[in-house]
Amino acid sequence: MSHIDRVGGEDLVIDSVNFSYGGKLSIFLNLNLNVKPGEFLSIIGPSGCGKTTLLNLLSGFYQPEQGSVRLRGQPIAPEDTHLGYVFQQPTLFPWLSAIENVEFGLRMIGIPSDARRERALKYFHLVGLKGFEDFLVLRLSGGMQQRVSLARSLAMEPTLLLMDEPFGALDAITRETMNDELLRIWDELGQTVLFITHDIDEAVYLSDRIVVCGRPPHGIYKIMENELPRPRSGPNTRTKDLFWQYKKQLIEDIAVVTAQSPQSEEEMRELRLAQHAEVLE
Amino acid sequence: MSVPAAKVSSPASTTSSFSGLMTAPLEFLRRYASWSWLSIPSLLLAWILVATQFESYILPQPWEVLDEAWNEMLFPTQETVMDDDGNIVEIPEEERVTTWRLLSHGELVAAVQHFFRGEIWPHVGWSLLEEVGGFGAAIVFSLIFGFLAGFFKGFREYIVPLNGLFMAIPPIAWAPLMVIIFGLGYTTIVIVIFISAVNPMILTIMEGVLQIQGQEVRAARILGARRWQLLLYVYLPASLPFVTAALRIGFSQAWRALVAAEMIGASVGLGYMVQTAGEVGNSRLVLLGIAMIGLFSYIFERMLFRPIEKRYEVWRLT
Ligand SMILES: Nc1ncnc2c1ncn2[C@@H]1O[C@H](COP(=O)(O)OP(=O)(O)OP(=O)(O)O)[C@@H](O)[C@H]1O
Ligand SMILES: [Mg+2]
Repeated sequence: MSHIDRVGGEDLVIDSVNFSYGGKLSIFLNLNLNVKPGEFLSIIGPSGCGKTTLLNLLSGFYQPEQGSVRLRGQPIAPEDTHLGYVFQQPTLFPWLSAIENVEFGLRMIGIPSDARRERALKYFHLVGLKGFEDFLVLRLSGGMQQRVSLARSLAMEPTLLLMDEPFGALDAITRETMNDELLRIWDELGQTVLFITHDIDEAVYLSDRIVVCGRPPHGIYKIMENELPRPRSGPNTRTKDLFWQYKKQLIEDIAVVTAQSPQSEEEMRELRLAQHAEVLE
Repeated sequence: MSVPAAKVSSPASTTSSFSGLMTAPLEFLRRYASWSWLSIPSLLLAWILVATQFESYILPQPWEVLDEAWNEMLFPTQETVMDDDGNIVEIPEEERVTTWRLLSHGELVAAVQHFFRGEIWPHVGWSLLEEVGGFGAAIVFSLIFGFLAGFFKGFREYIVPLNGLFMAIPPIAWAPLMVIIFGLGYTTIVIVIFISAVNPMILTIMEGVLQIQGQEVRAARILGARRWQLLLYVYLPASLPFVTAALRIGFSQAWRALVAAEMIGASVGLGYMVQTAGEVGNSRLVLLGIAMIGLFSYIFERMLFRPIEKRYEVWRLT
């Protein structure tokens, strides 16, 4: 497809990664995944399968115990400005107004205030928040906060955008609107997107490939190619036979991984101990 | 149909504004009335009722305390004067300045001089100075130690038990020891205030810093913030709510400890004044002292620290 390869030569490579949060329980054992430049990749799987953990490895908040994570051949640090991360929660800065939140990153990298405001406004309007620039973020609804958070990441114009269930808190209608907005933005900027979701529709509608992940430490259960033609548009795409076929396939896959051997007694004990230790900290 | 609309509507509007006038007090009450209006009057009423059962020199009426305030603070009747030879002589009864009436210019000047000669002012002044000293030192220390404890786990583990220990001991218990070491006076009081204020302040600040560390810092790092930028753009603004909360808590702790400590280890100050007035059985002065203590506490806490804290609480909600 034409939109892939627009950003030449960049590749995200996850190479035989082992990871655990200390303790014996492995979250990943020998995890491998290559993401093509400009690709839209969704990750779907049961709660606790390690989706957020994967993004934390990709963003450099955690380091793999073995193996490596490379973007364009380089290791990744959270401070890298070509990296964007929309968290599961909006995590805005409550002492700043909505637009100042969007400007925050631009300010950190030293963009002069005029250019900064202009760029922030562009993305602020892009996510449909025109008119709410000067609101304190806590005076915005949950869905609006999540959109500010999205605009804040987009304004940095990252080449790798990690998104952890960004629309999980939105109602179905807003969610579909946001899906279209996201595709439009992605089409315009051509960044690589890793998109975590619990929503099968969303995964099928958005992605080039869909990763189904299994319970730890099973890692990736399956990678599904999504051949739905682009550009995709609401009712048109959603009513295609292929759309339903993929959906059915994913429902079955997820049923399989959900039923996957639940963690052994031993593993569960490890897990409880690990969590207990964290609470004690 | 030929009647102009304005004529039809004008009697109606007159009626409505008339009935509006009638319901205005009710409306006013509905909007602004609060049970809090009764709290202080009921306390005064109880005071008056109880005071009727006692002789005035044991439990004076509120207005008698006010009268005492008039004498002590505003216009103490000048009973003596210095003559040309530097001797203190008594002013004859009928020549003493009474200020309970409109003042001439000369009398006004005299009144202002008397105002600052009121016997309560040195007590107020010293108490405030001690508060500034002890509370000021507590601010500096709690900022340093609170942030360190928030940032460094090792230091936190070290300081939390100490904190708990000091919090378990009422600060006034330190006063006799301080008197033995430093004698009566400023140092003793300042140290006791410091001990009482610094511990809750450190805890409040530490817990605040711990709360920041998670998500907001992660978000800032992802947006490219370097270490010093995190300090300036995340930790500093995010800390304002709990730093101001710590100030308010610290101030009131310090003020309480101050009054108590002055009763033991001072020779001047509001606490000392109340204490000595009690010893000589001057219940009016005791009550006046108590009222002053409450008043200053109210002025600082409610009119200074609380509004500052409120300002930052806006974005602490949810
Ligand atoms: N900080 C941590 N310390 C220890 N264990 C953790 C930590 N974070 C996650 N885990 C464990 O790692 C596993 C994967 O968690 P993760 O948050 O990646 O799941 P997830 O797929 O994102 O789930 P969800 O869909 O519910 O967000 C879980 O078993 C979880 O208990
Ligand atoms: Mg998650």
